[in-house]
Amino acid sequence: MRLPRSLFARLMLISLSGLAVAYALSFSVTFYERALATRSLMLGDMEQDVASSVALLDRLPASERGQWLARLERRTYSFMLGPGLPGAAPDAHLSELLAASIELSIGQHYQLTASAIPGLREHLQVHLRLSDGAPLTIDLRPRGLPVSPWLMPLLLLQLLLLALLSWWCVRLATRPLAELARAADALGPDLKAVRLPEDGPAEVARAATAFNAMQERIGTYMNERMHILAAISHDLQTPITRMRLRADLMDDGDQRDTLIRNLQEMEQLVREGVTYARTLHGATEQPRRIDPDALFDSLLCDYLDAAADVTLSGRIGAPMLLRPVALRRILVNLVDNALKYAGSAELVVESSDSVVTIRVLDRGLGIAPDKLETVFQPFYRLETSRNRDSGGTGLGLAIARQLAQAIDVRLSLANRPGGGLEARLILS
Amino acid sequence: MDKPDHILIVDDDHEIRDLLSSYLRKIGFQVSAAANGRQMRTVLEEGPVDLVILDLMLPGEDGLVLCRELRAGKWRSVPVLMLTALDEETERIIGLEMGADDYVAKPFSSRELVARIRAVLRRTRMLPPSMKPLEVTQLLRFGDWQLDTTARHLLDADGTMVALSGAEYRLLRVFLDHPQRVLTRDQLLNLTQGRDTDQFDRSIDLLVSRLRQRLRDDARGQRYIKTLRSEGYIFTCTVEVCEGEA
Repeated sequence: MRLPRSLFARLMLISLSGLAVAYALSFSVTFYERALATRSLMLGDMEQDVASSVALLDRLPASERGQWLARLERRTYSFMLGPGLPGAAPDAHLSELLAASIELSIGQHYQLTASAIPGLREHLQVHLRLSDGAPLTIDLRPRGLPVSPWLMPLLLLQLLLLALLSWWCVRLATRPLAELARAADALGPDLKAVRLPEDGPAEVARAATAFNAMQERIGTYMNERMHILAAISHDLQTPITRMRLRADLMDDGDQRDTLIRNLQEMEQLVREGVTYARTLHGATEQPRRIDPDALFDSLLCDYLDAAADVTLSGRIGAPMLLRPVALRRILVNLVDNALKYAGSAELVVESSDSVVTIRVLDRGLGIAPDKLETVFQPFYRLETSRNRDSGGTGLGLAIARQLAQAIDVRLSLANRPGGGLEARLILS
Repeated sequence: MDKPDHILIVDDDHEIRDLLSSYLRKIGFQVSAAANGRQMRTVLEEGPVDLVILDLMLPGEDGLVLCRELRAGKWRSVPVLMLTALDEETERIIGLEMGADDYVAKPFSSRELVARIRAVLRRTRMLPPSMKPLEVTQLLRFGDWQLDTTARHLLDADGTMVALSGAEYRLLRVFLDHPQRVLTRDQLLNLTQGRDTDQFDRSIDLLVSRLRQRLRDDARGQRYIKTLRSEGYIFTCTVEVCEGEA
């Protein structure tokens, strides 16, 4: 048998079954002990009663015996005048005990034969002959301990109480774990830490404190990293601006053009570095109702105005709740990438069942399958650069991925059948 | 020839100040430079300035504080071109909210800066004098629409955001700045693209039809933008400035 997967179910199973077994054991021991005590009491009483009753009947004239029978009847036995029913020797435990007990009380005066009467319930008769030769039968219907009708409901109630208490106790133990897991999940790419409440039982409080401290440490490291990146990028602005201006003042010539081109590359790196650092810090943008088709179309128009080869197909046709600045930025990065490596880009938009898919397609060389994830790493550039003079910063896709995570959009890359790359954004 | 435009550069980096000054002088502007707010005020007191180039990151009083001061005081009609750091989005928005007329992100090329200077000068000069001291205008309302001039998008009657391309925004801004006035294709091209045009450039017609589409204005109804044959276009709606929330 396999244990259930969840800790909650396991603990419940162990504690409940343990409790139930212990409870059943103690109940049956008590019950057994009580039954034993009452039985010996009953047997003792019966020994005396039977002896005196038989003696009484023996002394009475035969004609009067019948009248006394009803008076001598007890809960578990009665007397009958007559030979009774024949039968085999009793074999049931209680019947044997009863027969033995009657034997003990009157055996020395009478010849006794005991016989078990077949039937649904235990039933035996003891036959004897009174001193005048008349047959007498003691009809015994041994009965166990009477059980009160409220015993079963009480038992069930107790079991229920046990189940409830163990549920509570297990929950007490597992809930902090669930909260810990939730808090760890919530510490997503945006690094907005969810502090765990540091109260509750000592062990839980301690785990929560440790978790919070860890969260803070991670936050500090990330902040530091972001800060360094931002500071370097930021501080480069002034020298780059100076150089740009200086280059603009230079006389026309190849040197000047090369310098300007190099500066532009540096500038782009600095710009993207700052953007990447900022996206690491998380999305501060609030989602808002927008017309997605206008967003895609205005993006397309910006590209067309810049004489870029971009096409758009498909439309959503309904307003959506989106973070437009981040989404636009993601799309720009993907389209720029496609333009850089393939010279043209196709934007395909479709929506079905509240899931909106935006695909940016190109017909470039694609990416080796094992590199499809790696290219999202910051500053990663494909060794076999698809275009050596592209001057990419290696941050475009990292920024796109980072932003996509921050606004809950899935971004993945795939090679297209027939060549080229497909970047897919799934908004649900 | 007219007196050259007087540009005031406010930047704490003396190299940038000097380089920019020489470049702008070479282009033909009259240039003054200031390293901080105090020097800026001195230059402004000395004589008329046509445009202030203001660095956002200044030690002490920063660009935003100075920009707000300019907007509130007696130099409110002097256009301001803000030099911002790299973060286009947020700094552009706060810069424009503080009343700057345009912004250029550092590092910039001199050519781009000059184009922006000329565009701002042209825009402010074309405005009727009554509209010149632009308040902090966030929303311009016309018909069913509101234009958010800092985030540069439209809001429809339901508050749904409708994005605009750069060219569409510039064209709409020109229309909204000159409502109920006939604008020729030349003027529109000049104002939106900051360049002098060929006489047979039809790109503006394409842009107008795109903008109409964005405004859900069909060519037959022409609720917002009317075509005047052989003359140009006219924006027929009234424009209100509102200070509401975006």
